[in-house]
Amino acid sequence: MVEFETALLAIAAAFVVFAVVSLYRVIAGPTDHDRVIAVNVMGTNTVIAIALVSSALDAPLFLDIALVYALLNFLLSIAFSKFNVEHGGVL
Amino acid sequence: MTLTLIEGALLVFVLGCALGAALLKDVLASVMAFAAYSLGVSIIWVILEAPDVGLTEAAVGAGIMTILFLLALANTVRPQEDQILERVRFRTVAFVGAFVLVMLATVPSLPAIGADGAANPVVSGEVTQYYLANAYEQTEVHNAVTAVLAAYRGFDTLGEAVVVFSAGVAALTVLRQEVFA
Repeated sequence: MVEFETALLAIAAAFVVFAVVSLYRVIAGPTDHDRVIAVNVMGTNTVIAIALVSSALDAPLFLDIALVYALLNFLLSIAFSKFNVEHGGVL
Repeated sequence: MTLTLIEGALLVFVLGCALGAALLKDVLASVMAFAAYSLGVSIIWVILEAPDVGLTEAAVGAGIMTILFLLALANTVRPQEDQILERVRFRTVAFVGAFVLVMLATVPSLPAIGADGAANPVVSGEVTQYYLANAYEQTEVHNAVTAVLAAYRGFDTLGEAVVVFSAGVAALTVLRQEVFA
Protein backbone atom coordinates (compact mmCIF):
# COMPACT_ATOMS: atom_id res chain seq x y z
CA MET A 1 0.00 0.00 0.00
CA VAL A 2 1.56 3.24 -1.16
CA GLU A 3 1.13 6.20 1.13
CA PHE A 4 -1.15 8.96 -0.13
CA GLU A 5 1.54 11.65 0.21
CA THR A 6 4.04 9.58 -1.74
CA ALA A 7 1.49 9.09 -4.51
CA LEU A 8 0.84 12.86 -4.66
CA LEU A 9 4.56 13.60 -4.85
CA ALA A 10 4.99 10.98 -7.57
CA ILE A 11 2.20 12.61 -9.61
CA ALA A 12 3.88 16.00 -9.09
CA ALA A 13 7.14 14.49 -10.35
CA ALA A 14 5.29 13.17 -13.42
CA PHE A 15 4.02 16.69 -14.14
CA VAL A 16 7.56 18.05 -13.87
CA VAL A 17 8.65 15.38 -16.37
CA PHE A 18 5.88 16.61 -18.71
CA ALA A 19 7.31 20.12 -18.31
CA VAL A 20 10.75 18.77 -19.31
CA VAL A 21 9.17 17.26 -22.42
CA SER A 22 7.54 20.55 -23.41
CA LEU A 23 10.93 22.22 -22.87
CA TYR A 24 11.91 20.53 -26.14
CA ARG A 25 9.26 22.59 -27.91
CA VAL A 26 10.58 25.82 -26.36
CA ILE A 27 14.09 25.14 -27.64
CA ALA A 28 13.32 23.51 -30.99
CA GLY A 29 9.95 25.16 -31.75
CA PRO A 30 10.18 26.49 -35.29
CA THR A 31 7.91 29.50 -34.69
CA ASP A 32 7.35 31.79 -31.71
CA HIS A 33 3.77 30.54 -31.37
CA ASP A 34 5.04 27.07 -30.50
CA ARG A 35 7.23 28.60 -27.84
CA VAL A 36 4.46 30.74 -26.31
CA ILE A 37 2.13 27.73 -26.10
CA ALA A 38 4.91 25.55 -24.66
CA VAL A 39 5.74 28.10 -21.94
CA ASN A 40 2.03 28.33 -21.16
CA VAL A 41 1.81 24.52 -20.83
CA MET A 42 4.84 24.58 -18.52
CA GLY A 43 3.20 27.25 -16.39
CA THR A 44 0.06 25.16 -16.04
CA ASN A 45 2.21 22.15 -15.12
CA THR A 46 3.95 24.31 -12.51
CA VAL A 47 0.65 25.36 -10.94
CA ILE A 48 -0.51 21.73 -10.73
CA ALA A 49 2.84 20.55 -9.34
CA ILE A 50 2.87 23.26 -6.65
CA ALA A 51 -0.72 22.41 -5.68
CA LEU A 52 0.14 18.69 -5.40
CA VAL A 53 3.29 19.41 -3.36
CA SER A 54 1.35 21.72 -1.06
CA SER A 55 -1.17 19.00 -0.33
CA ALA A 56 1.53 16.32 0.04
CA LEU A 57 3.57 18.41 2.50
CA ASP A 58 0.34 19.52 4.21
CA ALA A 59 1.14 23.23 3.77
CA PRO A 60 -1.91 25.13 2.46
CA LEU A 61 0.18 28.33 2.38
CA PHE A 62 1.88 27.05 -0.78
CA LEU A 63 -1.44 27.27 -2.62
CA ASP A 64 -0.99 31.08 -2.65
CA ILE A 65 2.09 30.62 -4.82
CA ALA A 66 0.09 28.38 -7.16
CA LEU A 67 -2.53 31.15 -7.43
CA VAL A 68 0.10 33.83 -8.14
CA TYR A 69 1.55 31.60 -10.83
CA ALA A 70 -1.82 30.95 -12.41
CA LEU A 71 -2.29 34.74 -12.71
CA LEU A 72 1.26 35.38 -13.93
CA ASN A 73 1.05 32.57 -16.47
CA PHE A 74 -1.89 34.28 -18.13
CA LEU A 75 -0.12 37.65 -18.00
CA LEU A 76 3.03 36.17 -19.55
CA SER A 77 1.16 34.60 -22.46
CA ILE A 78 -0.67 37.87 -23.13
CA ALA A 79 2.58 39.87 -22.96
CA PHE A 80 4.40 37.50 -25.33
CA SER A 81 1.50 37.41 -27.78
CA LYS A 82 1.09 41.19 -27.74
CA PHE A 83 4.80 41.67 -28.34
CA ASN A 84 4.72 39.09 -31.11
CA VAL A 85 1.78 40.67 -32.92
CA GLU A 86 3.18 44.19 -32.81
CA HIS A 87 6.86 43.52 -33.38
CA GLY A 88 7.11 40.08 -34.94
CA GLY A 89 5.42 40.91 -38.21
CA VAL A 90 2.45 38.64 -37.51
CA LEU A 91 -0.97 39.78 -38.86
CA MET B 1 12.64 8.80 -2.22
CA THR B 2 9.81 10.45 -4.14
CA LEU B 3 11.17 13.83 -3.08
CA THR B 4 14.50 12.87 -4.63
CA LEU B 5 12.67 11.90 -7.83
CA ILE B 6 10.82 15.20 -8.13
CA GLU B 7 13.96 17.17 -7.21
CA GLY B 8 15.94 15.31 -9.87
CA ALA B 9 13.28 15.99 -12.51
CA LEU B 10 13.18 19.67 -11.46
CA LEU B 11 16.95 20.01 -11.67
CA VAL B 12 16.94 18.52 -15.18
CA PHE B 13 14.15 20.94 -16.14
CA VAL B 14 15.90 23.98 -14.67
CA LEU B 15 19.22 23.06 -16.26
CA GLY B 16 17.55 22.58 -19.64
CA CYS B 17 15.80 25.95 -19.37
CA ALA B 18 19.04 27.69 -18.34
CA LEU B 19 20.93 26.14 -21.26
CA GLY B 20 18.09 27.17 -23.58
CA ALA B 21 18.13 30.74 -22.27
CA ALA B 22 21.89 30.92 -22.73
CA LEU B 23 22.20 29.21 -26.11
CA LEU B 24 19.10 30.16 -28.13
CA LYS B 25 19.96 32.53 -30.95
CA ASP B 26 16.60 34.29 -31.09
CA VAL B 27 16.34 36.79 -28.21
CA LEU B 28 12.58 36.39 -27.75
CA ALA B 29 12.93 32.59 -27.48
CA SER B 30 15.71 33.16 -24.96
CA VAL B 31 13.43 35.38 -22.85
CA MET B 32 10.74 32.66 -22.94
CA ALA B 33 13.23 30.01 -21.83
CA PHE B 34 14.22 32.32 -18.98
CA ALA B 35 10.56 32.62 -17.90
CA ALA B 36 10.29 28.82 -17.92
CA TYR B 37 13.49 28.64 -15.85
CA SER B 38 11.87 30.86 -13.25
CA LEU B 39 8.84 28.54 -13.12
CA GLY B 40 11.08 25.56 -12.33
CA VAL B 41 13.12 27.40 -9.70
CA SER B 42 9.97 28.44 -7.85
CA ILE B 43 8.83 24.80 -7.51
CA ILE B 44 12.27 24.03 -6.06
CA TRP B 45 11.78 26.79 -3.47
CA VAL B 46 8.35 25.39 -2.59
CA ILE B 47 9.77 21.87 -2.14
CA LEU B 48 12.54 23.26 0.08
CA GLU B 49 9.68 24.83 2.10
CA ALA B 50 10.60 28.46 1.45
CA PRO B 51 7.26 29.82 0.19
CA ASP B 52 8.23 33.49 0.61
CA VAL B 53 11.20 33.06 -1.72
CA GLY B 54 8.94 31.13 -4.10
CA LEU B 55 6.47 34.02 -4.18
CA THR B 56 9.24 36.54 -4.84
CA GLU B 57 10.59 34.33 -7.61
CA ALA B 58 7.10 34.16 -9.13
CA ALA B 59 6.50 37.91 -9.02
CA VAL B 60 9.99 39.12 -9.92
CA GLY B 61 11.56 36.30 -11.92
CA ALA B 62 8.63 35.27 -14.08
CA GLY B 63 6.56 38.46 -14.05
CA ILE B 64 8.54 41.67 -13.84
CA MET B 65 11.81 40.46 -15.38
CA THR B 66 10.11 38.97 -18.43
CA ILE B 67 8.01 42.06 -19.08
CA LEU B 68 11.06 44.29 -18.58
CA PHE B 69 13.02 42.16 -21.09
CA LEU B 70 10.12 42.37 -23.56
CA LEU B 71 9.99 46.17 -23.16
CA ALA B 72 13.73 46.40 -23.72
CA LEU B 73 13.37 44.14 -26.75
CA ALA B 74 10.59 46.30 -28.16
CA ASN B 75 12.99 49.26 -28.19
CA THR B 76 15.79 47.40 -29.98
CA VAL B 77 16.24 45.46 -33.18
CA ARG B 78 15.55 41.75 -33.26
CA PRO B 79 17.56 40.17 -36.07
CA GLN B 80 15.97 37.21 -37.84
CA GLU B 81 18.33 34.24 -38.00
CA ASP B 82 17.92 30.79 -39.48
CA GLN B 83 20.16 29.20 -36.89
CA ILE B 84 18.40 27.97 -33.74
CA LEU B 85 21.37 27.76 -31.39
CA GLU B 86 24.21 30.17 -30.78
CA ARG B 87 27.74 29.05 -31.62
CA VAL B 88 29.76 28.49 -28.45
CA ARG B 89 33.37 29.50 -28.14
CA PHE B 90 35.75 27.09 -26.45
CA ARG B 91 37.30 29.77 -24.24
CA THR B 92 33.88 30.72 -22.81
CA VAL B 93 33.05 27.08 -22.03
CA ALA B 94 36.39 26.62 -20.26
CA PHE B 95 35.91 29.80 -18.21
CA VAL B 96 32.32 28.96 -17.20
CA GLY B 97 33.31 25.36 -16.44
CA ALA B 98 36.11 26.50 -14.13
CA PHE B 99 33.70 28.87 -12.36
CA VAL B 100 31.15 26.06 -11.88
CA LEU B 101 33.88 23.81 -10.47
CA VAL B 102 34.87 26.50 -7.95
CA MET B 103 31.22 26.92 -6.91
CA LEU B 104 30.72 23.13 -6.63
CA ALA B 105 33.76 22.90 -4.33
CA THR B 106 31.86 24.97 -1.73
CA VAL B 107 28.80 22.63 -1.72
CA PRO B 108 30.16 19.93 0.67
CA SER B 109 30.61 22.50 3.45
CA LEU B 110 26.88 23.33 3.48
CA PRO B 111 24.76 21.70 6.22
CA ALA B 112 22.36 18.95 5.09
CA ILE B 113 18.78 20.00 4.27
CA GLY B 114 16.66 19.89 7.43
CA ALA B 115 19.67 19.14 9.66
CA ASP B 116 18.96 19.97 13.29
CA GLY B 117 20.99 20.77 16.39
CA ALA B 118 24.77 20.84 16.23
CA ALA B 119 24.75 19.44 12.69
CA ASN B 120 23.32 22.74 11.42
CA PRO B 121 25.51 25.73 12.31
CA VAL B 122 22.76 28.14 11.22
CA VAL B 123 20.34 26.80 13.84
CA SER B 124 22.82 26.09 16.65
CA GLY B 125 24.87 29.25 16.04
CA GLU B 126 25.33 31.80 18.79
CA VAL B 127 23.74 34.65 16.82
CA THR B 128 20.56 32.67 15.99
CA GLN B 129 20.14 31.58 19.59
CA TYR B 130 20.60 35.18 20.79
CA TYR B 131 17.85 36.45 18.51
CA LEU B 132 15.51 33.60 19.44
CA ALA B 133 16.04 34.22 23.15
CA ASN B 134 15.93 38.02 23.23
CA ALA B 135 13.97 39.19 20.20
CA TYR B 136 10.59 39.41 21.90
CA GLU B 137 11.82 41.11 25.07
CA GLN B 138 13.87 43.71 23.20
CA THR B 139 11.55 44.52 20.28
CA GLU B 140 8.12 43.13 21.28
CA VAL B 141 7.67 41.71 17.77
CA HIS B 142 6.21 38.18 17.79
CA ASN B 143 7.91 36.94 14.62
CA ALA B 144 11.67 36.52 15.09
CA VAL B 145 12.43 37.05 11.39
CA THR B 146 10.40 40.29 11.33
CA ALA B 147 12.17 41.42 14.50
CA VAL B 148 15.57 40.95 12.87
CA LEU B 149 14.47 42.65 9.63
CA ALA B 150 12.63 45.60 11.12
CA ALA B 151 14.45 46.22 14.39
CA TYR B 152 17.98 44.77 14.59
CA ARG B 153 18.89 45.68 11.01
CA GLY B 154 16.31 48.37 10.44
CA PHE B 155 18.66 50.76 8.58
CA ASP B 156 19.62 47.96 6.20
CA THR B 157 15.94 47.30 5.50
CA LEU B 158 15.38 51.02 4.96
CA GLY B 159 18.12 50.99 2.33
CA GLU B 160 16.51 47.98 0.66
CA ALA B 161 13.14 49.74 0.68
CA VAL B 162 14.74 52.77 -1.04
CA VAL B 163 16.19 50.47 -3.70
CA VAL B 164 12.82 48.75 -4.28
CA PHE B 165 11.05 52.12 -4.40
CA SER B 166 13.41 53.56 -7.01
CA ALA B 167 13.16 50.33 -9.04
CA GLY B 168 9.37 50.64 -8.99
CA VAL B 169 9.53 54.29 -10.06
CA ALA B 170 11.92 53.41 -12.87
CA ALA B 171 9.70 50.54 -14.06
CA LEU B 172 6.64 52.81 -14.05
CA THR B 173 8.55 55.45 -16.04
CA VAL B 174 9.49 52.84 -18.65
CA LEU B 175 5.94 51.49 -18.80
CA ARG B 176 4.51 55.01 -19.20
CA GLN B 177 6.25 55.38 -22.55
CA GLU B 178 3.79 52.92 -24.09
CA VAL B 179 6.23 51.04 -26.29
CA PHE B 180 3.49 48.50 -26.94
CA ALA B 181 1.05 51.07 -28.30
